Amino acid sequence: MSYPAYVSNVSYCYDGSFRGFLCCVFESYAHRELPAAIQPPQEGQTSLFGSREIATRADRAARVAAGLHRLGAEIQACVTSGFLADEPGKDLILLRFLRCCFENGTAAAQMLARPEIAEALALARRVDNESHKYIEFLRFEQRGEMLGTVIHPRHRILPLLRGHFCSRLPEEDFMIFDATHGLAMLRKDKTVRYLQMQHYAPAPDAEEENWQALWIRFFRALAIKERRNERCQRTHAPKRYWQDMCEMQAQKRTTQPPGDVL
Amino acid sequence: MDLAEKLEILADSAKYDVACTSSGVERPGRAGQLGSCRAPGICHAFTPDGRCVSLLKVLLTNCCSYDCSYCVNRRTQQRPRASFDPRELAELTIGFYRRNYIEGLFLSSAVAGSPDATMERMIETLRILRQEYRFRGYIHAKAIPGADPLLVERLGLLADRLSVNIELPSEASLNRLAPDKGKAAILRPMGQIARQSAASRRDLAVYRHAPAFAPAGQSTQMIIGATPETDRHILRLSESLYKKYALKRVFYSAYLPVVADERLPALSVQPPLLREHRLYQADWLLRYYHFSAEELLSPEQPNFDPYLDPKCSWALANPEYFPVEVNTAPRPVLLRVPGIGPKSALRIVQARRSQRLGMPELKRMGVVLKRAQYFITCSGRAPALRAARQEVAAALIDPKAFGVGVRQLSLDDFCAVPLPDSAPRVQALAAAGVEARRAAEQTRREAIECLTRRM
Repeated sequence: MSYPAYVSNVSYCYDGSFRGFLCCVFESYAHRELPAAIQPPQEGQTSLFGSREIATRADRAARVAAGLHRLGAEIQACVTSGFLADEPGKDLILLRFLRCCFENGTAAAQMLARPEIAEALALARRVDNESHKYIEFLRFEQRGEMLGTVIHPRHRILPLLRGHFCSRLPEEDFMIFDATHGLAMLRKDKTVRYLQMQHYAPAPDAEEENWQALWIRFFRALAIKERRNERCQRTHAPKRYWQDMCEMQAQKRTTQPPGDVL
Repeated sequence: MDLAEKLEILADSAKYDVACTSSGVERPGRAGQLGSCRAPGICHAFTPDGRCVSLLKVLLTNCCSYDCSYCVNRRTQQRPRASFDPRELAELTIGFYRRNYIEGLFLSSAVAGSPDATMERMIETLRILRQEYRFRGYIHAKAIPGADPLLVERLGLLADRLSVNIELPSEASLNRLAPDKGKAAILRPMGQIARQSAASRRDLAVYRHAPAFAPAGQSTQMIIGATPETDRHILRLSESLYKKYALKRVFYSAYLPVVADERLPALSVQPPLLREHRLYQADWLLRYYHFSAEELLSPEQPNFDPYLDPKCSWALANPEYFPVEVNTAPRPVLLRVPGIGPKSALRIVQARRSQRLGMPELKRMGVVLKRAQYFITCSGRAPALRAARQEVAAALIDPKAFGVGVRQLSLDDFCAVPLPDSAPRVQALAAAGVEARRAAEQTRREAIECLTRRM
């Protein structure tokens, strides 16, 4: 079914929550308009346009969420992953995507050549790819009674790590601290909570250094000198993840010049 | 000897084993146990040679009683020797696994004493992991050629993937370089694993709790460049292994001269990394692109072109297949276009249900058009109709063959060197004293000229 919308010069301000975003979608349909911008509170109010506060109302969010549910798992996953992106303008990309999906139904997931769809899928892919990199490269340390780690992702990927690590370590308590956004995911007594934190207090245990030294020694022994190709290494493990990988920190220290920068 | 030293020696001895994948089995975690498996596999680190570390790849021991001439661990080689205690290795695996360093264990071993005794110790390690530590992560174990079939069966029930190394691409080479291992001794366990794995899959379809035998299948590896076999011979061998033994993967490892022996290439020989790369590309074409070995290489041209990837070579040799119309061609036909892979082909097939596709649409969907544009039409229109032959040749040629990196000699002294996987001609020119970038540029010009003439 087609719901025409007119590009308006109003910008929506909402509280930054997912429900708040769903209310923006509701507002867009209620007013038959496509806003010029959607601004979560983190993004400053620098817009030239008049802004409108969108209140978060549970009933409206639930109506949109039910509609989203009917669109199928693929589209839902795209919206939820895309919403975790930490990029200005992501809300508007997702709104345009959702309007296109509501218009075309479940088939929209395959209309990859549509600009609205392609843009949103690329956004979701960026977030999913980053979360996958952290599934690979995150390194736990024994901190006090639980495993803990500090990561520095671009996007708010903690919810995407949850399923994997809860399945991988069913009997362990652990905490992953996202230092970029000041968020932490704490799994304790088989329940997961998200916390806001400024820094991660208990330092790694003393014995942790031994484990890291063992791992670094193993990692170094594996490299074959004649095949050395650091460009290939950087392709697979880009440098921005290195600060969270203990063996790469060690490599950086040892391959300071002279050495290869292939 | 302390644990760290042992780990270093045994990892160093295992590093020439190529397989380090954790793919092929999907197994979510379960309360009371430790670990899970993801079907596509997860890499956890990348070494400075660009290879992934997914599993704790070690030998149980490197004290070998065999004397295979290409192997670093052979009996007559002087090198430090060490052995893990099964319990010690299990503990180490769990420690690494909890910290998210690895996906599991890759256990191989030199033949200490007899194949049977070695296998018994490997089985003991896996038993401790699976039963005492309740480990649900990935385990790849190497079956020792010549071991008792009952031991192979016990190993398969504990491990996810089994592998038997075929080592060299022909029986003659095997007899010459590895006199202790016979072709039959290698192929027998392979056949057994294939049979039991298929039987276990049938049982699992009927009884959910039937024991799984090597649920992630089996793989093998062979050394490239130590013996005179052609690419065609190797690829046909891989194809028959995939068909006959239902292998998941065949790994190729470029021969690195580690020991001096008159039966082997000299120690100064560079490992044929580009050739290895071409073989992997062709291997992918066999498994995911429905190509056959016969199509890719002929008796007249038994080796791959170093400057072109195998799919491009095939496309240039078979111009009658092209151009392909993206709006109507079936998926297997799209897959044959250079530059279009399984993901792009799927996206094209999905997207064209709702609209006609032109160049802007393809770009938006993320289809890489650098090479594909010369082989497709969009609604009858060829996007690169007027391209000069030389321009086409320049776009098709593989830039990997001309890779040049920088080596830092001291704080402010840099010099260009060919990357280890650049074409042999570039490396030869650079070795003869030509500056690396000039050598690469010159080779590239020659290759383009040659290709332009051929088109």
